[in-house]
Amino acid sequence: MLVTLLRSEIRMNLRQTFSWATPLLFFVMVVCLFPLGLGSDPIALHQSAAAIIWVTALLAILLSLGNIFQSDKEEGFLDLLLLSPHSLTLIVLAKAFSHWLIYCLPLILISPILGFLLHLSPYEVGVLIITLLLGTPVLTLLGAIGAALVIGVRHQGLLLSILIMPFYIPILIFGTGTMLAASTHLVINGYIAVMGALLLMTLAFAPLLTGIALKIGANQS
Amino acid sequence: MLSLQDLSFERQYRYLFRQLNTEVNSGELLQITGANGSGKSTLLRMIAGYIEIQEGQILWQNQTIPELHYIGHQNGIKAYLTVEENLELISALINTSKNNISLAMDEVGLKRFKNSLAQKLSAGQLRRLALARLLLKSSPLWILDEPGTALDTQGQEWLVNLIKQHLAHKGVVIAATHQPYSFGKILCL
Repeated sequence: MLVTLLRSEIRMNLRQTFSWATPLLFFVMVVCLFPLGLGSDPIALHQSAAAIIWVTALLAILLSLGNIFQSDKEEGFLDLLLLSPHSLTLIVLAKAFSHWLIYCLPLILISPILGFLLHLSPYEVGVLIITLLLGTPVLTLLGAIGAALVIGVRHQGLLLSILIMPFYIPILIFGTGTMLAASTHLVINGYIAVMGALLLMTLAFAPLLTGIALKIGANQS
Repeated sequence: MLSLQDLSFERQYRYLFRQLNTEVNSGELLQITGANGSGKSTLLRMIAGYIEIQEGQILWQNQTIPELHYIGHQNGIKAYLTVEENLELISALINTSKNNISLAMDEVGLKRFKNSLAQKLSAGQLRRLALARLLLKSSPLWILDEPGTALDTQGQEWLVNLIKQHLAHKGVVIAATHQPYSFGKILCL
């Protein structure tokens, strides 16, 4: 079931080019705006690179969160998910994973180019990729809880952002903190370990909480 | 036998229905009628388990409700999947094999559209695709919210026959409808 669900989610999203391409274009365009605003000073760009990439990635992911459950709700497909004899937690996990594959992985893949544009060294780009690989699933999983909570609310975009953004702060701090440590040649193992722990913790709780939120949403409708 | 006992539902300080009691035996159709906003869909969603029971209880042969088919107002069809892909996904979700997909598509008259995206189908075809779910897996209880919506005369006849076949196999159908069929019990909210 999980494989079929995952395959279907990927198919659907790939058939809607505007859906997966919009956050990616947003990410690239906003990162490219910073050199225009900050000037071409390599040192200034290098110092701000981690924050620029991380905050922009966070905003791009926020932009895509509405796509996790909204179409399911609008099409009545959510009823089918809730009534499925399969574990709702696993269904949510599959949907979150497909969201990460479609919306977050392209951001990670393109981030080395943007990193070099912002004068990051190859080592720092490597660290950036590791932090994004560990951090973006957390952003997706936490976002899924928010998306489930505001399901059915009209114009949910801003509400979802306000609701979820405070919970993004720890991963943002550790993501940019790792990059700062890497740029000053400090040991980054501790940062990476904390990010890994945050990912494991989110993996354990977020799908369960999202499932509960979806059931509450169905109860209200 | 499905039994609704002293079922009440209150929303925004107003009872949609109060102290509702009825029984539906195997092989019987219960048609729920009533004005818009009278609580037909709410009652169906409550029986299906989406909405928590506030007062009273719902029993299926004196136990909890078994696996069921619920088809609501919306079709539960993914617009960016083809007809066949939709049925494959539904089969996976309701935990049944893919063996019946071809038969179901044939039965609802959508086999020649099997590779068409659902977004290209008409409202009636989408409803047929939603109803095809009933043919993928046998389930004793069908809960249908306005099942005939958007169906043409031929589709309506097909639906009536499908319901009759299910009842003949000792199934139970609960349907909200504005145009009750000539058979089955009627519960007016």
